[in-house]
Amino acid sequence: MASIFKNILPKLISLPRAQFVRKPYISQFCLYSTAPSLTHYEIVDHKADDEKRNLFKSEIVRKINETVQNKKQLFAVVHVAGKQFKITGGDIIVIEGYWPPDAGDKITLDKVMLVGAREFSLIGRPLIQNDLVKVEATVIEKSVSHTKTHFRKKRRKQYQRINFYRIPRTMLQINNIKFVGELDNPPDVTEAKNRQM
Amino acid sequence: MSNTSLIFKPSFIRNPSQNGLGRYVCQLQRLVLKFCKNNGSSRGMREFIEEDLIDFAKSNSGIVVYLKPRRHRTAVITAEYLNGDKQWINCRNFTKVEILKWLNLLKTQQGDTTGTRFLKLQHTEIPSIQGPWTPYTFRPPSLNLTNFPEESISKLSEKTSATKELLELYEQQKMKSKGTNL
Repeated sequence: MASIFKNILPKLISLPRAQFVRKPYISQFCLYSTAPSLTHYEIVDHKADDEKRNLFKSEIVRKINETVQNKKQLFAVVHVAGKQFKITGGDIIVIEGYWPPDAGDKITLDKVMLVGAREFSLIGRPLIQNDLVKVEATVIEKSVSHTKTHFRKKRRKQYQRINFYRIPRTMLQINNIKFVGELDNPPDVTEAKNRQM
Repeated sequence: MSNTSLIFKPSFIRNPSQNGLGRYVCQLQRLVLKFCKNNGSSRGMREFIEEDLIDFAKSNSGIVVYLKPRRHRTAVITAEYLNGDKQWINCRNFTKVEILKWLNLLKTQQGDTTGTRFLKLQHTEIPSIQGPWTPYTFRPPSLNLTNFPEESISKLSEKTSATKELLELYEQQKMKSKGTNL
């Protein structure tokens, strides 16, 4: 029992100081268990590295903010209706399949996976920071594709079918891509007013 | 190459009128609904005209709707667009709902798309912003000044392999468990 305490106590003491504590409650529960190994989670103290990393990060963030203020052409990878498109302002994309927005609707594409300019690119995991970038688009056409033929035939089996179909298509004009949020400063998660279905 | 490419005219997507860059303008200008007053094949068209046409015309004030009764001919919709396209749809034995559906399609289209086949579903004026990738992009600029062959760069990396690392971890765990069992 004493050996268990020996293992636990230094970890418990280091709790408030530690920067990245993954599931600290597990180590507390383990006080009552007799298992030999406590948990496979480790308490990692990154404090020493943090200052260096923060300095490095703040410099990058500052440089990106500078280039953003120059209003240079941005590009983004957005996820729309199951497909990913690399777009810039002024592009036209066509979305295939049933998609509710009607012609003339002005929409924003919120699933932004990557945004970049000539000097930098921000890569999301999988999406970039909430409300950082606004991708505005207008639906300019709801149409159907050309008639496609689905022809099946089995030789020597007197089997032959022919079907014709057309796929609904939506044409989107990308108006612009711009920074609206602050980099490295995401808004609160509790705010959900613009995400109601 | 299939015969599809012979039947349909290939084209790229484009937006010559720059529609949607400022505001959106409905491209459908004129609709002519042709029908027979007593033939059964234009019954759906007659129903549509009696019940839904007024609502349709009111909600789309930018579209001019003409009615053209003609004896013993099938029902037909003709649509004219801002770009001069004229589209013709045979509405023989169509129901009221089907006609409304086709009219909504015509309303949201930019022109007659029936005879064309898009080669690409994306159009851009700026194909690349960061430029094409080369073997020298994202490399440290210090490489510009080094004389090759350089020994410090070409030597083997001293990283331990993942297998070795796992084995070491395993050994460590063994030692730990032995220590706590005592």
